[in-house]
Amino acid sequence: MSRQASGFRAWVLQRISAVYLGVYLVYLLGFIAIEPPQSFEAWRTWMAHPVVSFTLLLFFVSLFVHAWVGVRDVVLDYVKPYLLRVLVLSVFAFGLIGSGLWVAKVIFLAGQTV
Amino acid sequence: MKFIVFRYNPDVDATLRMQEYEVAASRGMMLRDALMEIKRQDETFSFRHSCGEGVCGSDGVNVNGTNLLGCITRVSDLKEPVTVRPLPGRPVVRDLVVDMSQFYQQYRAVRPYLIRRDPLPEQEILQSPGERDQLDGLYECIMCGCCSTACPSFWWNPDKFHGPQALLQAWRFLADSRDQATDERLDALEGPYRLFRCHTIMNCVEVCPKHLNPTVAIGKIKELMLKKAI
Repeated sequence: MSRQASGFRAWVLQRISAVYLGVYLVYLLGFIAIEPPQSFEAWRTWMAHPVVSFTLLLFFVSLFVHAWVGVRDVVLDYVKPYLLRVLVLSVFAFGLIGSGLWVAKVIFLAGQTV
Repeated sequence: MKFIVFRYNPDVDATLRMQEYEVAASRGMMLRDALMEIKRQDETFSFRHSCGEGVCGSDGVNVNGTNLLGCITRVSDLKEPVTVRPLPGRPVVRDLVVDMSQFYQQYRAVRPYLIRRDPLPEQEILQSPGERDQLDGLYECIMCGCCSTACPSFWWNPDKFHGPQALLQAWRFLADSRDQATDERLDALEGPYRLFRCHTIMNCVEVCPKHLNPTVAIGKIKELMLKKAI
């Protein structure tokens, strides 16, 4: 996070990601409710579709960006000791980046093997 | 009526205590009148008050968990026993008197005065009625501190977060057609703390004795930032 733009930019990112998360979640829930894939293969075929894999990847990127801003807000409010703050933020940063890479791997592999 | 009042005198007391008083409520009695009656019963009791009509903003106190002005609150509207505490989160000077220095520092930080780049005209700087209307709901703030001391974000970061009162005033000058320092003012609000610790909890709106809305003002500041950014 850059020191200068960390207020306004974080706020904008949180709002934009929230809109995408909201819209996409409605689509995802609708999809699962109306015609859920019946088998592992069907799931993989669905995820391998370029539009789905791209929008799904964007969904998780939005989710992690949104989560990062939220966690950072909580830490800024409640975690005062400097070292503890660095530690907590680092744990979440690594966790979110790791989760992001893992999600990317899952989505790309679904596309590769079909 | 039974009043339970926060008492603490740092010169004498090791710790705070809650003291009970019995006050005979009269018709139309305001909380400030009750506090003055308590003061008559016990002259060691301290509290701030001045105008007695909701203009000076001196007698902000926390009553049954809500910040309000003693002078414009009828005791008949309060639930017994009436618990009176100082405004939350502020260092107690004595009894209901709190140290508002940080609150004033945050106010000072938003530069609450007109800044002009153009040479000043001979007479007043004119405004259209429409431009003047933009200041309604903003200029009426009496700085009683009820809002900022009800704000959890201000409790956690009173040294860094401006708080609802100062941010309402920041918007009051951003919204003023006569002010010419919009960019500077917006730049000064950047960073994760000064403006963006507001999480729209809206305690400020709920308690403001003047029925002002700092949350809307804060939203307008963010909107203006967005407009300037794209």
